[in-house]
Amino acid sequence: MSVHSPNPGLILQSKRFNGLRNILEREGPFCKDGFAASSENLEFLQTKCQVLIIGAGGLGCELLKDLALMGFGNLHVIDMDTIELSNLNRQFLFRRTDIGASKAECAARFINARVPTCRVTPHFKKIQDFDESFYQQFHLVVCGLDSIVARRWINGMLLSMLRYEEDGTIDTSSIVPMIDGGTEGFKGNARVILPGFTACIECTLDLFPPQVNYPLCTIANTPRLPEHCIEYVKIIQWEKQNPFGVPLDGDDPQHIGWIYERALERSNEFNITGVTYRLVQGVVKHIIPAVASTNAAIAAACALEVFKLATSCYDSMANYLNFNDLDGIYTYTYEAEKSENCLACSNTPQPLPIEDPNTTTLEDVIKLLCDSPRFQLKSPALTTVMKDGKRRTLYMSGVKSIEEATRKNLTQSLGELGLHDGQQLTVTDATSPSAMTLQLKYQSNEVEMV
Amino acid sequence: MIKLFTLKQQKKDGEQKGSQQKKASAAQLRIQKDINELNLPNTCATDFPDPNDLLNFKLIISPDEGFYRDGRFVFNFRVGSNYPHEPPKVKCATQVYHPNIDLDGNVCLNILREDWNPVLNINSIVYGLQFLFLEPNPEDPLNKEAADVLQTNRRQFENNVKKAMRGGCVGETYFECCLLK
Amino acid sequence: MSSPAPKSPELSDKSKKYDRQIRLWGEHGQTLLEAATVCLVNVTAVGCETAKGLVLPGIGGFTVADGSTVKEEDLGNNFFLDSSYLGKSKALACMQLLQELNPDVNGDYVDESADFLLANRPNFFDSFDLVIASNLNEQTLLLLAERLWELNVPLIYCRSLGMLGTIRLQIREHCIVEAHPDNRQFDLRLEHPFDALREHLDGTEVTSKVPWLLVLHKYLNVWQKQQADGTQTPRNYKEKNQLKETIREEMKADEENYEEAIKAVNTAFGAGQVPKSLKAIFEDDACEQLNKKSNVFWIMAKALKHFVIHENEGHLPLPGVLPDMTANTDSYIALQHIYRQQALQDADQVYHKCQEYLKQLALPADSIDERSVRLICKEAAGLAVIRGTRIAEEYEKSSRLLPLVEDNELQGNLTAYNFALRAYERFLSECGNIPGECIVEQDIGRLKSIAAKMLSDLGMHATISDDVLHEICRYGGAELHAVSAFIGGCAAQEVIKIITKQYKPIDNTFIYNAITTESVTLKL
Repeated sequence: MSVHSPNPGLILQSKRFNGLRNILEREGPFCKDGFAASSENLEFLQTKCQVLIIGAGGLGCELLKDLALMGFGNLHVIDMDTIELSNLNRQFLFRRTDIGASKAECAARFINARVPTCRVTPHFKKIQDFDESFYQQFHLVVCGLDSIVARRWINGMLLSMLRYEEDGTIDTSSIVPMIDGGTEGFKGNARVILPGFTACIECTLDLFPPQVNYPLCTIANTPRLPEHCIEYVKIIQWEKQNPFGVPLDGDDPQHIGWIYERALERSNEFNITGVTYRLVQGVVKHIIPAVASTNAAIAAACALEVFKLATSCYDSMANYLNFNDLDGIYTYTYEAEKSENCLACSNTPQPLPIEDPNTTTLEDVIKLLCDSPRFQLKSPALTTVMKDGKRRTLYMSGVKSIEEATRKNLTQSLGELGLHDGQQLTVTDATSPSAMTLQLKYQSNEVEMV
Repeated sequence: MIKLFTLKQQKKDGEQKGSQQKKASAAQLRIQKDINELNLPNTCATDFPDPNDLLNFKLIISPDEGFYRDGRFVFNFRVGSNYPHEPPKVKCATQVYHPNIDLDGNVCLNILREDWNPVLNINSIVYGLQFLFLEPNPEDPLNKEAADVLQTNRRQFENNVKKAMRGGCVGETYFECCLLK
Repeated sequence: MSSPAPKSPELSDKSKKYDRQIRLWGEHGQTLLEAATVCLVNVTAVGCETAKGLVLPGIGGFTVADGSTVKEEDLGNNFFLDSSYLGKSKALACMQLLQELNPDVNGDYVDESADFLLANRPNFFDSFDLVIASNLNEQTLLLLAERLWELNVPLIYCRSLGMLGTIRLQIREHCIVEAHPDNRQFDLRLEHPFDALREHLDGTEVTSKVPWLLVLHKYLNVWQKQQADGTQTPRNYKEKNQLKETIREEMKADEENYEEAIKAVNTAFGAGQVPKSLKAIFEDDACEQLNKKSNVFWIMAKALKHFVIHENEGHLPLPGVLPDMTANTDSYIALQHIYRQQALQDADQVYHKCQEYLKQLALPADSIDERSVRLICKEAAGLAVIRGTRIAEEYEKSSRLLPLVEDNELQGNLTAYNFALRAYERFLSECGNIPGECIVEQDIGRLKSIAAKMLSDLGMHATISDDVLHEICRYGGAELHAVSAFIGGCAAQEVIKIITKQYKPIDNTFIYNAITTESVTLKL
């Protein structure tokens, strides 16, 4: 951990923290039960608490600033993107001369220079480039993402980091809360996810607006909107003519220019008006309108939740805030419900004791899953992730080609299959709408690996 | 609310290593479920070139009635990491004379695009595709010539389909033979 | 690069930089923003965050007014001050650090306090399009608010204290053409087709390829004939279901346009009428009594009114926007053309009336252009006027807010925080120090008596709970950055709404409690 001043004790006494110290060192009538007003709270924020910010874009820049000025001393930020001109209307840590540079690195440099009590570590990487050991170092994770895939990935990662007590309950010290913000134009939301306890991203997947997809036959034969003409060029004409010999790149002005011209031709042919360069860009790149003010409000709401969770000074929000300032300013906070059948978070690993991995075959395991009163499955599918990170289908009876290809596994012992003690198997079965994770617990330690 | 944790415990430094095994993504969990519970009509079969990769596979439809009887049509399924928020990408790998499938293999099926929602699954798509062969729909054409023929002259359409499936030209277009051997 | 640049109209540099927001408020909104100048009174975190939300999207200019110097305690929560400015002018420091965000924006500063400016430079505030202020004591707030009311300069007053924040907008009159409603109802005139539409509807064969509008028209006629009492459009659930059934019975296969027509039964009727809010605008004195100084909005509103009442049988001008409908291209485009032509015709009539009024008022003809008239016609159903109230009025006994406040029992309600924050400001004026700055317990008592007196002076019987006052004192004047960032973000958006005359601003007080993540808007 970096020490960012000759004497951290002195920093804590700095007058810059006067305001925060009032909040953290005085008792109050609305504080969370059990909140202990003390100078240790600020010390914790400054020296121990590690927060990860995912995304250094519109929300990420705001989050870095907000958390740095809320007393947090150690922040990490991940972003794989570089800076573009159209970012500058809201991503306020970047300047024109930064175009092309890493967002994470540029943002970290700016914060480190402006706020001497905060040390930001940048990662110019994808979130998928890191494994559990990286994510485990954080107390809290805050997301400012525009990608649903990335949200789902980090959600899955934080869920997989949960550890369980003997009785199957979650070891609360393994929980890394996720605070997630999202904006679109003048609308936004902020939410708090306590993995395993409250609704996760997968529980509420339907809260994300569906992608707009126009029917292919409309695009091909009965276009009526300028968007139909643009989609035609993008989906059908580009593939046929491949004008530049490369896949379509929405950031290449030549590509956009070509699509614009062809879409304009097509719209003229059908007497459709309204194809503009901006619309073409918007449709091709799925551009979401964005403005500084909404990002500021949503990031601030997220930062406040991070602060509440890290210091316990107030109860955290339960658990979903909707924000909209099209007509006045409207906020609504409600409790999104955890789904009983969530494939991601209702999936507690179940220990499966195995007497001897060298004599127990896969078939024995499947038999157990079907016959034992504990599971009562019908025709389970079993997959796992091997040591080398590759997915492997162990057995699946429902699909002929897979059944044939995996039948030979049935007679092999778990040891022969290369499954090690503690390995997790993913089991799905028609009897349950959710998936189940089995964790192999070998009773004998010796595994004869083939 | 549950009394969650004392973040102030310095747990993070001496963090015990959890299992380093990679986890199945939510898309993979869901597709495993979808695939294992596929309930294929007897005219359909799947083919997984790599049984360990459940995200890329083929669907083979061999209709036993209708215009396309005795044909064999292969579709490539590509399931992305945002499944089921986004539908899989499905393309027809067999050249087919069909009003709703164009010569590049694009398929006009509502649940593959505008009417997709996460409650649907691979089975829904299989049934949708199978239905396209039983009831080609000239109202939503992707191959307009084929649709026009179907609408104006069913007999002619039937002949064209037969011709194409045997391997031959319909109009300017040559079709490979796709009859069941 | 070897290939020639595309001949397509690629966007200008500025247009690219602001692309993501131009998609919201348009090039015309951006032009208004770039022409505006605002004043920031007092350098606080909430003030600077508001200014940041205006500098980034490219406001024309801003002037910072603050008479104090940068101290160490200011650095903890304000991103637009740093240690290199310690001991120097706060106004200068924050102006420089804000302007650095965007070279398109002009920054200026005066290192004088609001009190000094009000007392010594009476014309200082005249030239601004809007003033943003924060962290004033009661006396200064009231003086500033009154001055700006007289000048007809809108004021956004922000408070950020501990976990609480408020925004108060003081504006005399604000007219909005483009409110951007979230769920816009399409105005299709099926129940009162204009001539060109009627001709088209009656003269087109209904097939499975035509837009649902034609399907609905056909079966609406059938349904109308079945109505013994001559009802023209289905008014309730039962009648709508009858119409739906009438359509469904005629379906052969599952024609998509028939399906869409059935779905549209619920929403296709009822637009084109004058909504209450527009009626109020028509009846407003400003609309009735035009004069040389009238805002062009009112001239256009009066022309609109004339058109609606005297030329269009009580119906609004046609917006001319057709939603997408499954259909073949030609039949859809033909229908779309009919709507667009009628909209142009309606707007043209309104435009001529506008020109007539301009002439009567001896105003130049180019005061109102065709584009503006087309826009106001298209948006007619959503026009809105906000008539604001003076901040000082809230402090007067005759205030009309008594019932509002007393209905909402002050205890445990967000309203209480607004009064508690006012008591806090009176404390600043009267005691000259910050409640809870040193000893919390002692100040709770003093704040309590100030609050009690304030409420009884206003003639209110309610009291503010001790817990709320304790919480206020516990803050000891702390301004938390994240609360300021939330309020600043919201306040910046309100400023943009006022400057671009798009979207509806708050009317008029927004209260935010970050402890519970709740907010409310009150009209005070």
